[in-house]
Amino acid sequence: MPETSLLHDKVIVQFGGTGLLGRALVASLAGSGATLVIASRNRSSLETLAASECSAGRTVHVDEVDIGDEASLHALRDRVLAQHGRVDGIVFNAVSRPMAKMDDDLAAWKASMETNATGFFATVRAFGDAMAAKGSGSIVHIASMYGMVGMNPWLYEGTSMTAAPDYFFHKGGMINLTRYLASHYGPQGVRVNVVSPGGIYNPDKPQAPGFLERYAKTTMLGRMAEAREIGGAVVFLLSDASTYITGVNLPVDGGYTAK
Amino acid sequence: MNTWSSLEGKTIWVTGGAGYLGSAITEALDAAGAKVLCFDLAGRAAALVREKNLRRTIGLDFDFNDTAALPGFVDAMIAEHGLPDGLAHLMMVSSAGKRLEEITPEEFQRTLDLTPTFVLCRALAGRMKERGSGSIVLFSSMYGVVAPDPRIYKAPMTPNPIDYGAAKAAVLQLARYLAVHYGPDGIRFNCVTPGPFPNPGVQKTHPEFISDLAKKTALRRIGTNAEIVGPTLFLLTDSASFVTGHSLVVDGGWTAW
Repeated sequence: MPETSLLHDKVIVQFGGTGLLGRALVASLAGSGATLVIASRNRSSLETLAASECSAGRTVHVDEVDIGDEASLHALRDRVLAQHGRVDGIVFNAVSRPMAKMDDDLAAWKASMETNATGFFATVRAFGDAMAAKGSGSIVHIASMYGMVGMNPWLYEGTSMTAAPDYFFHKGGMINLTRYLASHYGPQGVRVNVVSPGGIYNPDKPQAPGFLERYAKTTMLGRMAEAREIGGAVVFLLSDASTYITGVNLPVDGGYTAK
Repeated sequence: MNTWSSLEGKTIWVTGGAGYLGSAITEALDAAGAKVLCFDLAGRAAALVREKNLRRTIGLDFDFNDTAALPGFVDAMIAEHGLPDGLAHLMMVSSAGKRLEEITPEEFQRTLDLTPTFVLCRALAGRMKERGSGSIVLFSSMYGVVAPDPRIYKAPMTPNPIDYGAAKAAVLQLARYLAVHYGPDGIRFNCVTPGPFPNPGVQKTHPEFISDLAKKTALRRIGTNAEIVGPTLFLLTDSASFVTGHSLVVDGGWTAW
């Protein structure tokens, strides 16, 4: 778990908060003292989560955005600046998964790029420029170890689980765009890094037993990640504990990619 | 406010803990409430404890190169001070700092000797295994990842030496191997891989060099020793409970482009 005050006084905007990892990130960021704005296409899906965090004494706001629409992103940026005076960091955890397998229609691939490539870039540029204007900030992208290595078919044998090809493309792209953006924004004091989680265990909807058993053998710690274990890295990179780190890809994968 | 409150009451060892980078780490751990065993060459650790008035740090001399005595030393330290929760290992055999054309085979070999690091890690991890947890942080360098750019080392400066970079590259692989080997025992191994952190002496005497270093980073500046603290403490704590076998690069973007 992250330390409780690393993000004290920081205004952070998180994109994507409804999924398993998104909810855990909200808990980590808010629990580290951030003033957190969760931005999502569908505000109502986040109200309950935000209310429970607030009742625990944390500061969580919910806002709406369509990251496929640059005007919507700029409007969000302006609302956050008006309400909180500044933005200190963003976490890009939004992802869409319209594709499931190799032979899906190309329309699914295109739909994937709409959010995962174009929406991602538009978001980072809108908020990166705003932070560059004030001379400091930290951007953290959530990629995946699947942006670094290919899929191992053995893991999926005998299950209905699939590894979609578009995911490997846009997560790989996200990792190297991180380096580009680090060079671009570095002189203006904005750091850009990426966290690459390994597979995350879903306690509400557990992965197939065969997959879990095989996957455990591929990490050095002998298990999948728990969602709450990713936040430590994200909080660290958003915080002033990492002021000389930029352009870095930080895997949180239990050693999957170290072997 | 204690930013690293999870370290309160933990026992952490820091080798090379009185040097430019090490002292920042030792002081931060002490401030966070950890019990620190700070190891360094003759008298240096004790002097740091005295000068900085550290309350929870014990300064100890450390004969790192006596590999035959190391395992017994580790056991004796544990018997006296308890099993540590983590180790930040900054000590290395210092390079002769010679030009490639001038370094002798003996000098090259001496820097490349990672045996003390290996023996220390194996002895400590062997004890941490009994408990089933621990975090060990080794120190590499950006010059274990990329070669120094000779153009910024203007005469009479000697370019960062070849034996140093080769030894630092070896540390990266040592950490990965140890991470894989000790992962099932709950012990994490990672590297902190610093970029340009010249010490205050160099900063004072070589302003042009400092400005050349700064230009090679995305952040356009050198790092300060305070900035190595966060990455080290992150890897030592449960903030990084699923991070192992990684080289955490702290270089202001030096190797990102």
